[in-house]
Amino acid sequence: MWFFTSGAFWFIEGILCALAVIGLKVWMEDRNTPMRLWKWVLVGAWMLLLGFTIAFIGTSVGENEMVAAKKGGIIFSVICVIFGAVVWQLLQIGRVKNTGDLKTDKNEEV
Amino acid sequence: MKPKVNRRNFLKAVGAGSAVTASAGLWFFGTQAGQDPASYTGMTNREGGFQTFNRRKWSVSKPTYEKVGETSRPDARTEVIFARMGQIRGYDKAKGLGEFPQHVQDYYKAHPEDLELDTTVRQEIHAKRSEEIKKPHDEFILSKAWSSAMGAVGPRGVNAPPEKWDFPRGSNTPYKMKDPKRTSRLIKKISHQFGSTLVGIAKLNPDWVYKYPMNGGRGFKANEPMEVPEHWQYAIVVGVPMSWDPMYANPPYGTSNDAYSLSRIVAHRLTAFIKNLGYAARPHTPGADYDLMVPPIMVDAGLGEQGRHSIVITPELGCNFRPSIVTTNIPMAPDKPIDIGVQDFCKTCKVCAKQCPSGAISHGEKVEIRGYKRYALHSSKCSNFWSSKLGNMGCRLCVAVCPYTRKSNWLHQAALNVSLHDPTGLSDIALAKMQEVFYPGQEPQKYYMPSMGGENASYRPVPWWLKTDDFIDTADGE
Repeated sequence: MWFFTSGAFWFIEGILCALAVIGLKVWMEDRNTPMRLWKWVLVGAWMLLLGFTIAFIGTSVGENEMVAAKKGGIIFSVICVIFGAVVWQLLQIGRVKNTGDLKTDKNEEV
Repeated sequence: MKPKVNRRNFLKAVGAGSAVTASAGLWFFGTQAGQDPASYTGMTNREGGFQTFNRRKWSVSKPTYEKVGETSRPDARTEVIFARMGQIRGYDKAKGLGEFPQHVQDYYKAHPEDLELDTTVRQEIHAKRSEEIKKPHDEFILSKAWSSAMGAVGPRGVNAPPEKWDFPRGSNTPYKMKDPKRTSRLIKKISHQFGSTLVGIAKLNPDWVYKYPMNGGRGFKANEPMEVPEHWQYAIVVGVPMSWDPMYANPPYGTSNDAYSLSRIVAHRLTAFIKNLGYAARPHTPGADYDLMVPPIMVDAGLGEQGRHSIVITPELGCNFRPSIVTTNIPMAPDKPIDIGVQDFCKTCKVCAKQCPSGAISHGEKVEIRGYKRYALHSSKCSNFWSSKLGNMGCRLCVAVCPYTRKSNWLHQAALNVSLHDPTGLSDIALAKMQEVFYPGQEPQKYYMPSMGGENASYRPVPWWLKTDDFIDTADGE
């Protein structure tokens, strides 16, 4: 069992994903874009697709299956980009433009 | 004055950094998963830890082969290619079959194409191969040495009939076993300890025992019908995989010897163990030390299902599995057969049939053979290809290209689970297509030796540790 196939890796990966989600939440707030449950579901689905694509290419390279890495990489990456663009457009629904900040503590300093 | 950090920008930056790091982590996860020694199922431990598939969930009351008519037992003398080749030795086309035993004449009258393939075509191929092997083929030095070494160790074969050989020496009274279920559990654990990756137990169906012995060996008299001994009540199927990376480099670089050797050793160890408990036991092992057919017994024992290529496909190893069988009378609780969807998958997949250079694997529907429906395999064509290539003995390409024959990492386990749980069958079509697109084989003609229009190609590149050029200076030998 190597580190990247161990439970410790997935523990750290979970923390990183949680931080990424928090960062996205703050960013969307700053863009005056409300995030609803269905939007988070779409974001989660896209993250899974992205993760699958990266892990698929990596695994294929690890197995020395270069054709699978190349073809699978292209096919899944294209799907990932298209799906990502669609999700991004859907995330814009309900965005409020030029109406000031949604959060009062936006410029809070640390 | 220290620059002030905006908290929200800090969280955004951390989030972006985490996303990039997590993505990089997935890349490293993937590359390690692809190389992980633990994914080489069966090659790393003997505690049974690889037999992880929950067979109970997929167990069915009847085997997935179909009984469609009156059944009969196989005549190994002619139906097993290795035995048949011995029977037709010395054939002269001008003289015909007149001098050969009746059963040989009957077989070839019923299968005229086989006569041509087993004699004239085979002789032509052998002549070409004899010329071909005179040329230096340095690329196979290491793989041949490795194959030969793998086959160097093995127990002595069975040399007496069942009534003599199978029983313990002396007047051992069998120990009274407490419970058949417990005995099954014990036998399975012991088999894993002996080196078996998979093990299953079946009640022996006499239909699978040869009607006539294969070579007149193993204590049986040639051309005398075999009775199924009463003490052959159960069949324990054990077996191990062939080394994964060379297996993918078939036909020329792989070998069966590694798995044959260990499979034989396991079966003989198990036989000795059962005899020590006072019960009868007889091993049936590769290459050709059998009194029965193995694939249907594997199916009965719940290890897998027979595929289009006639090899049994298991959930853990695909068809990368070399089995042995121990027939015995120690009371055990047999396993149930399983249905993991192989019959439906093979209907649409056909990757093995498309890749098989000899055309031995059927593209068509199942046919009735001895009362059972299954895919036909043209053993004469298959066997002739073995001589139509260089490198190690045999072919095993159908094992390598089968979509089920995959190492145990998240990707292939996910594919297996999708196939198992999809009742529509749509995923089977998608997965079979992905096999062709992502894991393509060579043009079948390329697998032949150069004098037969090929390139001695392999399905996947030879593993680094069998690349002769990287280790041996062959320049002086040319």
